[in-house]
Amino acid sequence: MYISINWIKDFVDLDGIDVEKLIYKFTMSTAEVEGITKYGQNINGVIVAQILSVDEVENSKKLHKLMVDTGKEKLQVICGAPNVKVGAKVAFAQVGSTVDGQKIGQATLAGQVSNGMCLSEKELGVSDDHSGIIILDDDAKLGEDIKNIIPVDDVIYEVDNKSLTNRPDLWGHYGIAREIATITGRKLKPLDIEDLKMYNELEKLSIGVEVDDDNNPLCLRYSAMRVENVTKKQASWKMRVRLYYCGMRSINLLADMTNYIMLELGQPMHAFDEKIVNSVNVRTLKEDSKFTTLDGQERNLDKGTLMICHEDEPVAIAGVMGGLDSEITDSTTSLFLESANFDAVAIRKTASKLDLRTDAAARYEKTLDPELTELAIARFIKVLREEDSGIKVTSAFSDVYISKYPHITIHIDKDYIDRSIGKELSMDEITTTLTNLEYDIKVDGKNITIEVPTFRATKDVSQKADIIEEIARIHGYDNIEPKTNLWKISPVPKDPVRELEYASKELLATKYGMSEIHSYVWYNTELNQELGIKVRDNLKITNGIVKLDNTLRREMAPTMLYAINKNLKYMPECKVFEVARTFDYEFDGKDAKEYKVLGIGMASTKQSEKELVYEAKSAVDSIIKINKNMDVRYENIEKVENNWMHPVNSFSIIVNNTNLGYISIVHPKIKDAINSKSAIVVVELRIDLLGEMAKTDISYKEISKYQNVTFDLSLIVSKDTKYSEIEDVIKSANMEYLISYNLIDIYENAEKLKDKKTVTIRFTIGSYTNTLTKEQIDGQREKVLAALKANNMNINE
Amino acid sequence: MEEKITLLKEKVVAKMKEVRTTADVENIRVEYLGKKGEVIEILKNLKNVEASKRKEVGEKANILRVEIVKMIEDKKLELKEKEYEEQINNSEKIDITVPVQDKIGSLHPITIVQKELEDIFTGMGFTVEDGNEVETEYNNFEAVNVPKYHPARDMQDTFWLENGELLKTQTSAAQNKIMLKYGAPLKAIFPGRCFRNEALDASHENTFFQMEGMMIDKNVSISNLIYFMKTLLSEIFKKDIEVRLRPGYFPFVEPGFELDIKCPYCDGKGCKVCKNGSWIELCPCGMIHPNVLKMGGIDPEEYSGFAFGLGLSRLAMMKYNINDLRALNSCDVRILKQMNIK
Repeated sequence: MYISINWIKDFVDLDGIDVEKLIYKFTMSTAEVEGITKYGQNINGVIVAQILSVDEVENSKKLHKLMVDTGKEKLQVICGAPNVKVGAKVAFAQVGSTVDGQKIGQATLAGQVSNGMCLSEKELGVSDDHSGIIILDDDAKLGEDIKNIIPVDDVIYEVDNKSLTNRPDLWGHYGIAREIATITGRKLKPLDIEDLKMYNELEKLSIGVEVDDDNNPLCLRYSAMRVENVTKKQASWKMRVRLYYCGMRSINLLADMTNYIMLELGQPMHAFDEKIVNSVNVRTLKEDSKFTTLDGQERNLDKGTLMICHEDEPVAIAGVMGGLDSEITDSTTSLFLESANFDAVAIRKTASKLDLRTDAAARYEKTLDPELTELAIARFIKVLREEDSGIKVTSAFSDVYISKYPHITIHIDKDYIDRSIGKELSMDEITTTLTNLEYDIKVDGKNITIEVPTFRATKDVSQKADIIEEIARIHGYDNIEPKTNLWKISPVPKDPVRELEYASKELLATKYGMSEIHSYVWYNTELNQELGIKVRDNLKITNGIVKLDNTLRREMAPTMLYAINKNLKYMPECKVFEVARTFDYEFDGKDAKEYKVLGIGMASTKQSEKELVYEAKSAVDSIIKINKNMDVRYENIEKVENNWMHPVNSFSIIVNNTNLGYISIVHPKIKDAINSKSAIVVVELRIDLLGEMAKTDISYKEISKYQNVTFDLSLIVSKDTKYSEIEDVIKSANMEYLISYNLIDIYENAEKLKDKKTVTIRFTIGSYTNTLTKEQIDGQREKVLAALKANNMNINE
Repeated sequence: MEEKITLLKEKVVAKMKEVRTTADVENIRVEYLGKKGEVIEILKNLKNVEASKRKEVGEKANILRVEIVKMIEDKKLELKEKEYEEQINNSEKIDITVPVQDKIGSLHPITIVQKELEDIFTGMGFTVEDGNEVETEYNNFEAVNVPKYHPARDMQDTFWLENGELLKTQTSAAQNKIMLKYGAPLKAIFPGRCFRNEALDASHENTFFQMEGMMIDKNVSISNLIYFMKTLLSEIFKKDIEVRLRPGYFPFVEPGFELDIKCPYCDGKGCKVCKNGSWIELCPCGMIHPNVLKMGGIDPEEYSGFAFGLGLSRLAMMKYNINDLRALNSCDVRILKQMNIK
């Protein structure tokens, strides 16, 4: 919202106050200021002059040669405006004056000398109108500075609307002036208003308000008055310039009046042409209907939308926008003036639904004070009379007041205030602040009883915390010294999942050279199609800006593949990971389950798929061994669930009989779509499940005093025998002296071994009680050999 | 005989001078001290020396033997030295400037900043909690004092989900659950991913990170909040930070503040980071609204507290001088790799 300092000066004497310092104080005590614009600084030396003659210019259809009288001299001026006429008084920029920051000099146009220029409103900076030059009133004095006639000079500051969300009272200049008066310690002048009681004897206007719900009426108050004999069509310069500086366009006197009062008091008003609307009914629509608003747009309205009707015909969408047919026009001379209060939620719903966030709706949805409607009418008539002294009020103040907000009284004591702020303030300061903000207060010792003014009582101020804010912000948060409090500190239990998450990230980055990425939690539909990734249906976003990407991810792997796809364009190798959420939505239940999953994507043109799988395995093993001291079992996945997984080379990761995820080579089809030369492997690991698992204790074993013995066995087994199968046999052999065994080598040779391979394993055996004898050593060897032989695993003899 | 010994010594000394290799030394040893070595022969044949001179000859021969042993050892050491010298001189000169394969990956800037902050907070006795990303409307809005159709909902364009839930728009969505879980007094932070339904540009992302904190105890005042925030931010920026509070409106706090810090990069002199404004709007905060405490099962008459939000994405951008928010979710390893580990 834009605030005009000139306008504020109508209500607070700002003499001797530095405006910029004032605005800074406003920021520190009231609301955020987004910017300051100083109008009129670029305009200097523009004066009133009169056109004495208008002549054609040779060779130009547009230009005129004028003789202009500045009161001091008569000058030839070339002017292109269509509305030049003899006798007209104009805003004249003489040679040497400044317009829009540019010095005006003597110019030659179409071969003719021009000594200055006549300005349009746009050139003067007071509107967007550039259709012709400004024609001033006939009583303007020649040679007078234009700034004495048109209030060009002003300082406008913009307040961030968001920071006024909770302050309906600050959506007009008078409310802002109240803040400024409090901040500066000056007096707020009372509003100059019409005494409406004068008209009590006149006829009342007919106002009908439908009340569906006593507890929650949609129209809280509807006030109206009739004014006739409006003859002036255009608002004063003061009003027009203020409206323009505050971001509105001047239309005609009556439309400008409603806007002016809205910007002054925050109360939206609507003026109907009284020839069309002379009584109103406020009611909701009984069925969906079409309605044309005054901007000429036909709109679809839902059943239940609150409307202002004349008899039964809707003439305005309550609180949002008037209708085209009842709008005041240039020929309107009498008006039905509406000043009403509607339910904030209802207006907000309608405005959102229609995507029609008008200035009126923006104010209503903040919950305005219904007491305002009467004040606004009284002020409207007063100001209108200043603009057009011939007007006649022809009705009594007509008012249907359905629902008042409850009166709010707050009891607070000084100790509570001091304790909450953390500083001792004087009672005098507290009471002055509250009084300046128009709270009614009674002090009894340390106790203060506070009556909240109606304009703060709709939603904003209702309890002690609100009063603390008033006192503290006016005192200035800068003036509160930081103080510590003796809070107890107790040790914080560590979250195992969080610890595992950080440890895993660090391990992957440091030991495996991977880069952590952050991605989006939804699938990229277009990329899925391009790469051939098929995802299962999952929970969807209903209102996303990118309509396609509305499915939340169930798996991390697609995200990893997107990243690989992107990065392989720039590098031959890409290894990335992310710990993030996946969502599991089964459609039967309402809640989506949320998992914390580690996703890894590895792609390389230098390593084989097998090497990548083993590297991934090493990473998973390390994470689990380091953090949980547990061993991992891997199993071939019989039937893969996702189409990016390799039907043969996909392996589930199993710890403690819990499936924690998988390692998989990426299906050749999808891999080719990403990069046919690269090997790609993906991993998903449930960090949340793993994190919750208890760490296996480390049990230390003494080293035997007696020498260990090692022997190697080279087994010839069929090519698809898994190492784990050999291990199972070794374990089943129950070698009592076995200390450990290690894989030394796996040898495959298509020519020599055909469908076989040689697996060499080194056994270490020993005893805690003696050095093993030859018999004992041979016995162990025989034992394991027998077991292996029984399973068709023979040594090369 | 004595003469012979003297001659022998001269011979050995002369030969030693000629020695080039350890093999030469060995030859000398065999020649003089070997089983049939000349010196040994003398010692062996002492019995043939006249009795009167036997002792003297024996002593001299023995002295010679010891001398030769010493000469041999010295020579060996000398040769070994030479060998090392040669080895060193002949060794390959390694070019240390040749690049070696860099196996270090990188952590995401958010992770680095988040970890740093979590460590600071846990050091101050705060519990770290994880919120959900899919949240109920109640937790995200109602429970933090933003009822349906409240204009404050405009501040946050929301991704709505088909089951009526939403992607949380703010970490505050966890406030209610945490209060109910721990009760008062309470000190907790809850970092997390947040979502807003907005179009992307250099300063707008639909997915970003916040960290929110709450501190609830008896007699917590505005003055305490200022002290705490000042201490905290000084810790984060690793220098004394000047803070200023302005009124700000956030429905879950009353009073609510915008906290600005004096730009730590230029000490308020004006620079790119603070856009020459010398203050940076950093952190919304405030005294927790009594309604929010009540909904969290905490009696606002007995307890008070403050809450604050830190934009993790924002802090990461400041720390690494990133000027486009989209870089954080770009998955572009060329960007991320620059972040290293710490």
